Amino acid sequence: MKGALETRELRKVYGAGETAVRALDGVTLDIGGGQMVAIMGPSGSGKSTLLHLLGALDTPTSGEILLAGEPYGELDDGGLTRLRRDRIGFVFQFFNLLPALSAEENVLLPGLIAGQRDDSTRERARTLLERVGLDDRREHRPAELSGGEQQRVSIARALLTRPQIVLADEPTGNLDSRSSREVLELLRELNAVDGQTLVIVTHDPAAAAIAGRVVFLRDGRVAGEVPGGSTERLIEALASLERTGPDA
Amino acid sequence: MRSFGSLAIRQVRARRLRSLLTAAGIVLGVGMILGVLLLTVTIHRTFTDLYDSVYGRTDLIVSGSGSAGGSSSLHHSTLATVRRTPGVGQASGQVQGVFTLVTGRRTTSTDQRSKLNVSGERPGATRLSDSRTVAGRKPRSGLEIALQKSWADANEIALGDRMRLATPAGVRSLRVVGLFQFTAGLDFGGQGFALMPIAPARRLLDKPSAFDEVDLTVDGGADQISSVQRRLRHRLPSGVTVETPQNKASDVESELQAFNTILYFFAAMALFVGGFLIFNSFNMTVFQRTRELGMLRTLGAGSSKIAGSVLGEAAILGVIGAVLGLGLGVALAFGLIALMRALNFPVGQISFASYAPAAALVTGLLTAVGGALYPARRAGRTSPMRAILGTEGLRARLRARRAAIGAVLIGLGLAGAFWLGAANDTTTIVAAAGMLGTIAIFFGIALVAPFAIRPLVRALSWPLRRLFPVEGRLAADAARSDPARTAATATALMIGLALVVAVNSLGSSFLKTISDEFDRDFARDLTVQPNGFSPGQGPQQTIAHGLRDRLARIPQAAIVARERFLYLSKLPGAHGKGGSEGLLVAFNPRQYEQVDETTIDGATRDQAFARLARGQVTVGKGWADETHLGVGDPITLRGPSGTVHTKVGGIVETVVFGGQTVGMSLRTLKRVWGVSADSELALKATSKAARPALRRKVQGVVNRRYPNLAVLSNDQLKSNVERQVNQQFAVFYAIVGVAIFASLFGIVNTLTMSVIERTREIGVLRALGASRWQVRRSIADESLVIGLIGALLGIAVGGGLGYALLQGLSSGIPGVEYRPPVPTMVAVAIAGVLLGLLASILPARRAARLDVIKAVSYE
Repeated sequence: MKGALETRELRKVYGAGETAVRALDGVTLDIGGGQMVAIMGPSGSGKSTLLHLLGALDTPTSGEILLAGEPYGELDDGGLTRLRRDRIGFVFQFFNLLPALSAEENVLLPGLIAGQRDDSTRERARTLLERVGLDDRREHRPAELSGGEQQRVSIARALLTRPQIVLADEPTGNLDSRSSREVLELLRELNAVDGQTLVIVTHDPAAAAIAGRVVFLRDGRVAGEVPGGSTERLIEALASLERTGPDA
Repeated sequence: MRSFGSLAIRQVRARRLRSLLTAAGIVLGVGMILGVLLLTVTIHRTFTDLYDSVYGRTDLIVSGSGSAGGSSSLHHSTLATVRRTPGVGQASGQVQGVFTLVTGRRTTSTDQRSKLNVSGERPGATRLSDSRTVAGRKPRSGLEIALQKSWADANEIALGDRMRLATPAGVRSLRVVGLFQFTAGLDFGGQGFALMPIAPARRLLDKPSAFDEVDLTVDGGADQISSVQRRLRHRLPSGVTVETPQNKASDVESELQAFNTILYFFAAMALFVGGFLIFNSFNMTVFQRTRELGMLRTLGAGSSKIAGSVLGEAAILGVIGAVLGLGLGVALAFGLIALMRALNFPVGQISFASYAPAAALVTGLLTAVGGALYPARRAGRTSPMRAILGTEGLRARLRARRAAIGAVLIGLGLAGAFWLGAANDTTTIVAAAGMLGTIAIFFGIALVAPFAIRPLVRALSWPLRRLFPVEGRLAADAARSDPARTAATATALMIGLALVVAVNSLGSSFLKTISDEFDRDFARDLTVQPNGFSPGQGPQQTIAHGLRDRLARIPQAAIVARERFLYLSKLPGAHGKGGSEGLLVAFNPRQYEQVDETTIDGATRDQAFARLARGQVTVGKGWADETHLGVGDPITLRGPSGTVHTKVGGIVETVVFGGQTVGMSLRTLKRVWGVSADSELALKATSKAARPALRRKVQGVVNRRYPNLAVLSNDQLKSNVERQVNQQFAVFYAIVGVAIFASLFGIVNTLTMSVIERTREIGVLRALGASRWQVRRSIADESLVIGLIGALLGIAVGGGLGYALLQGLSSGIPGVEYRPPVPTMVAVAIAGVLLGLLASILPARRAARLDVIKAVSYE
């Protein structure tokens, strides 16, 4: 199904022998199309690693990973590159816009990389900027935009090539509370209204609460899952996870 | 933005100052290449114009076996023989010489503008040069002269004036009866041309019967020229040359070939430094942009796309730098031409070649892109994870394999330099090997240097850390943090400084060896020679015949020995066939024995000089080694006046002219080459006490009657030689200076990067109370350390390179010893410090001005 992400016994090991670090130690996950999933966990839980693998930034040591039914755990650099170009969108914690380009040009960048130079792409860029509420700031450089505005530009950029999934790595990690709310509201809308499949990694319960599902990771494995929606429930769930351990 | 490709343009525009700094090396390098190109084109044009003008209507030139360096004389009968040869149209015989204009009462200058190339022809002979009279008439008889109008104007001489000229016969007053002009408007670097009737010219030049040259036209058109040439060669003695003007021009050109090649090499080194700067700068930029590049990779940009974008940036900088460099190049060309004229080298007005700018542009572009290849590849290899990780853990590891490759390159390079030095003929292959060898050494050092950085920094920063504990420590950490970057920056500086040391060590070794030889072998007290005397560099003035006897009458003069030199492009060898250029040295054996104490192998001194008197010759060691001539071997002397078969009487240990000399008696020189004028006089006083009086009296005679001559003590003679050698190198130093200047930009770039990386550190320091001056000092210290490392590497590499070259040279010129140029090395070390300080000014100011709050919170 379109947008469906699957992992089976996904493992990622850094180093070898005695100093080997098992960042992911067998994660099996199923994300349906149109879902919004938040992944939470303490540091060292492997949540960032999981996101990197899902985003085709890195390859797993073992296990399977599939996008819309197609495996991509063993693709070479060229194959991964194409995936990132055409089917996966990424939003970073540090906004990673090119300082030399305007907001509009930053949004356009994935299209240019993919070789799409036609007018429809440019129109889409502008539409997306409108969507994230920054049409009047489209000529501004990143240095002239606030943190929240930069993050919204990143989101618009991630959407340009109509990706099957959008991954966000601590999207509000660097923002003040008001900007955080704006960005989270935008992400929620994208999923609820536009049906965009979204996976966000976060340590912020407020951010995770906007998702439909919240998956907990601990020590490289899935430790539990609760439905989203309520921040309080999440905080309780987190606390009980601390007490009882991963087998609950 | 239209396409991904235009990202490169945007990146360049976004960091304008940085881009300019990076491109500065290309600007200077391309400028130097264009400057040298224009210089060589101008030199070429000068000599082509010369031959076109002076021999405009001449088909063939008959002359002695010298070259442009002054020819020997033709026998009187040559003119008649030429006229009798079928196919010869008109023939005109000439005597030639160089006169100097006397303006002040006693002195003449060595300035080009007072030199006059005088030709004595039969009045009424058809003019075979491409000139026409523009005022007055042609000279007919007596001390009349016709001048090149442009020279007359430059020296403010008008038609009808009387001018005083220093001639071999003494100072004479001649009347200007005519002015002429060459159609091609010849500018021979300020030297002038003049015409005289032949009989008075013979008297002034002391050439009573011989000719210096016979110019002729050929009947029946251009296709007859080669057959007439053959006929003439058949009928005239074998030491006589018969050439077309074009041949002679290209002979001169090929003599300049080695010089040209070296010029190009140094210009290429300047460009090489530019490429190195691009390499260093782009490495730093790629590192700085790691996160951006990672992000592009997450957006799906492939490795080659990113690498291509970086190369595109380099290409843009290359084009911009090259275009700016073109403008600089024209200015540099003017400068180089002026410099060469100041060094008494005749160069005319600047001349442009259509291919020059294009060639310079292309080389600049290629260098820029070449320098960026490695950084571009690295950029393309950025992992998409870097978008998140940034530069964490990204410092390049020092790989031992690189050091090994570097060491091999250094070894190969030294071998190439040695081979270049040892080669007898500077063929293209040998020159290329030498130059590639030098570049290999530089690359090798660049690869090896990172390993030496840490210990070097620790050692060099020690005094700084003592004097300024905080700043010194910071500076040392900064320099040590990225050894590869520090090494690359220092290497760029090293290149120029190493070349200075290498060239200088060649010069100083030669000079020391010659100086030692003079000390050892000179038994004379005084030398009388023409002003600016330098055999082998064009026609030389000669000494009047009567002067020797006049000086011999001075009571304090015990010996006045004649010396006659003749520069040949082909020295006589075993079978009359020569090979290399060299100097014939002739003297009166009995007299000369008393003013000279050179060691002679293969005979006692008495034996050797007796043999010389009998017609044998001595051979310089360099020439003997090259031709395998030994004492007692037969040798054939072939010249325009005759041919003599004789033997080698001894081998002389000398490094004058690289040991490429053949010594003989005055009589032998006259018999074979027809030389009868003195080049130099060597005097010895009756006693040590008599020396000052001798000098005074000789000076008196010379000042009064022969102002174009100089009286020199042995020390003055030595410093003359030194000056000449240094002058030859002056042009090279000028070019290398540009390379050194270019490397300064590299230091500025590195320091700027360092300041950016250390922004937070600097902010914390200031927050803790460090003053702006302390911040500036730490940057200055870092720069000083880099400059010193560059200087030390330069001294080491330059010394090694010079040593290798010299070892090679000394296999062909035995007796040359390596003398490390210590004063130059000290100067280079000081230069490293000063250059470092200079480069640090702007970055230090920027660092000191950082806003504390912004700096502390810098991500």
